[in-house]
Amino acid sequence: MFPIINLGPLALQAAGFFLLVSLFIGTWLTSKLASGIGANADAIETSILVGLLAGILGARIGFFLKNPALFMNDPFSLFSLTPSMLDASFGILVGVLTAVIIAQNKHLPLWPTMDALTPLFIAVFCGIHLANYANGNAFGLPTSLPWGIELWGTLRHPVQLYAVILAAALLLWLLVHTQLLTSTGFLHSGTLFGVVLAGLALNTLFTQAFAVEKILLGELDFLQLVSLLIFIGALALISNRAFPARKKVGVMLSMGSNQNPALHLSQATQMLSDKFRIRRQSSRYRTEDVSGDKSTPAFINQVVEIETDLAYEELRAHLKSIEGALGREPGNKKQVTLDLDILTYGNEVFTTHKKHIPAPDMLKYTYIARPLAEMSPDFRHPANGLSIERILAQITDQSAVIKISEVENGTEG
Amino acid sequence: MKKKQFIIIAVSLSLLSVVWVLLTPLLFPVQQAEVSQTAPHRGFYAPGFTLETPQGESFSLSDYHGQPVLIFFWASWCSICKAAMPGLDAVYRDFAPQGFTILAVNTTYQDTLSSAVNHFQAQQFAYTLLLDRDGAVSAEYRVRAVPTSLLIGPDGIVTDVIIGSGISEGFLRARVNALLAEGEE
Repeated sequence: MFPIINLGPLALQAAGFFLLVSLFIGTWLTSKLASGIGANADAIETSILVGLLAGILGARIGFFLKNPALFMNDPFSLFSLTPSMLDASFGILVGVLTAVIIAQNKHLPLWPTMDALTPLFIAVFCGIHLANYANGNAFGLPTSLPWGIELWGTLRHPVQLYAVILAAALLLWLLVHTQLLTSTGFLHSGTLFGVVLAGLALNTLFTQAFAVEKILLGELDFLQLVSLLIFIGALALISNRAFPARKKVGVMLSMGSNQNPALHLSQATQMLSDKFRIRRQSSRYRTEDVSGDKSTPAFINQVVEIETDLAYEELRAHLKSIEGALGREPGNKKQVTLDLDILTYGNEVFTTHKKHIPAPDMLKYTYIARPLAEMSPDFRHPANGLSIERILAQITDQSAVIKISEVENGTEG
Repeated sequence: MKKKQFIIIAVSLSLLSVVWVLLTPLLFPVQQAEVSQTAPHRGFYAPGFTLETPQGESFSLSDYHGQPVLIFFWASWCSICKAAMPGLDAVYRDFAPQGFTILAVNTTYQDTLSSAVNHFQAQQFAYTLLLDRDGAVSAEYRVRAVPTSLLIGPDGIVTDVIIGSGISEGFLRARVNALLAEGEE
């Protein structure tokens, strides 16, 4: 137990220090992961920060709601800067609601956002247990094991450290699995969140056995039972997210050609419609090569939305076969008979074979975003929640993209 | 991973978890004796002590059994302590008739006796000033920074330990109110 950290003349409250540091590190890691998977890191950081401030204010207001006489006595103490007069449950409620409202306003998509938040959840979990260790709270049962720590007159299980060590192992797994926060490491959004939630629930369920303070329901510990329910719920979530029933998903494709483009795009559309239902397609757009190389012929681009029940890898292989059938030479970037790229696959956010879905190119190039905006004016990016208008407004690509033909839109099914 | 593999892992982990939850009361019973120990921590009996006022009068914690007590460790060089003390005085004056006591323990072993006594008397605080001359009580209470405040219920069990500026008038008022209400039930 070490409630105070002495830094020269400064005496820091260790518990508060651990909580702040864990929030800082957690937010930093979350921001990295959010950028890695293409989620809206700025909006997520804002939600965390504003939610935190609202939570602290809410905790103070909650305390005064429970003790209204205090407010009559000294209304200004509502704003006093002491770390007391806080009601934790009310604070958490206000903080979480505030963060959720901001996230909704920014149209942050639920599952990619929850995935991005996983490092924060683990870090705060560690911070809370370290704070308890520093203050000697939530201590363990007496033990004669060699790693028992002396606390409150007895050698005890360092139960808070058990929780921290197991959570640190989970964080290490997360760093490896996400290849240092560059993807979720799963094909379906929400799976990573499910795994981390299951891990933290299992952690609590296991370590709580060694704790002294228990709320007993008959013989059983309430916190363990709650953890068990959360664990089973998390498994159900993983099963639901990671192994969805095969159903048709909408897939946005970008097509481009600079060798006899009118013919090749029509042939490609025909080959797509042989295999898939085409939901809608954009007009065709003429684009100078974005690399700025004047010797490369201009491209004609178009986006198409198809409907498929093929898994991503099968779909990708099929599109490659269409490219091949139309004479695409891999590696030749100057003469492209047909380029067929997957922009989005349903609402999923994932990385596989170094390909990010949704494709980052749609945030960079007008030749994708313009036709997409025309075809699907209500489009929102599955990872960062930005509307297509915002995406177009943010694109810095200056190449001229000129609409060249009207194509009748397919009907929405 | 195939769905079948996942289901096998999920079901086995769930079963293990259920077994662990059911075995916990058998493997790790919570001894009822825990709380009979003394420790300067929430849920334990407050360690007993006897200290003197600057005038040489002795006070013991055990004198106040059945009443809520605040033990407030402070030093005259500590500005946070001095900022908190008038608020404590206001709460003390309001609740003393109902049996609430404040023992302001000066950490005299690391303070100047005269400046501590002068400060206390100049402010005319109504509660009791005690001197921890050799630091034994501060050590027993694991005081690592001032102010450190312990609120003790009428049953002698520590209900709150607050290090630093968290011991505000509003907080103390609310907690003492709650402790007195519990005592009446």
